[in-house]
Amino acid sequence: MSELTVVDKFALYAGGALVVFGIVGIGLLEMVAGAPHPVTGEGQIVHEALVPIAIRSYLILLGFLLWGGLAVWRFVTSSVISGYGVPAPTETE
Amino acid sequence: MATAQTRLFGREVSFAVPEVWLAYWLVLLRLIVGWWFMHAGLDKLLAGSFDAGWFVGGRAAGTSLGPFVTLFADGAGLAFVNFMIPVGQLLIGVGLVLGALTRLAAFFGATLMIFFYFINGETGGWSHGVVTGDLLGLLIFAMIATVGAGRILGVDAYLLRTGVVQKYRRLRYLIG
Repeated sequence: MSELTVVDKFALYAGGALVVFGIVGIGLLEMVAGAPHPVTGEGQIVHEALVPIAIRSYLILLGFLLWGGLAVWRFVTSSVISGYGVPAPTETE
Repeated sequence: MATAQTRLFGREVSFAVPEVWLAYWLVLLRLIVGWWFMHAGLDKLLAGSFDAGWFVGGRAAGTSLGPFVTLFADGAGLAFVNFMIPVGQLLIGVGLVLGALTRLAAFFGATLMIFFYFINGETGGWSHGVVTGDLLGLLIFAMIATVGAGRILGVDAYLLRTGVVQKYRRLRYLIG
């Protein structure tokens, strides 16, 4: 496996942290002290939530964007950054 | 059984990779997720008149993605969405089923799932928590793209050995 660059590490660590915090961390907080179910089945936002649902969504979304941005970044820079590139194909038959 | 060694979160990590089980599950995941999207695309195309207006202009309004998505709520934007959703789903599905341009297909699959995840979630899908089928679909697409599942019994295994791909390494980010 190629070494991770600073950009890789930032996107992987920050993206992963945002997704895990938004889903798991805030989920735990809401179970303990807020609203375990952030919206109703009819789509109405539960306002007793500690973290507004829009904020939670944007945190998770930012994590996804960092992951997706890394994919695009690696594709665009693959020919100029040393170490980028995926392993050579292996025989499958 | 091969042993993978790498460095993660500042620590050396070493673990055995059960090749046959990994290969088996990656192919199964690719086929089932591929069929999921292929079916969704075909279903809409065969029905004839797909209209995403209720989703793009209606449901999405007021959600976190609303300010962006509602830009496509009418006119040429809506026509674009009405064409691209079924065709995109079909192409993503075919790509995964055949294992052709798998990484590219999975990337767009994950992108599409982001819209479904937040818009469906904020309009009722999260009534039992924010981990939903849409999120799991998104994560499976991300995994397929990351590991390059098309290399296993897929067209990509052939494409990766072609001269063009050998010459232009960048293509390996689309194929695999």
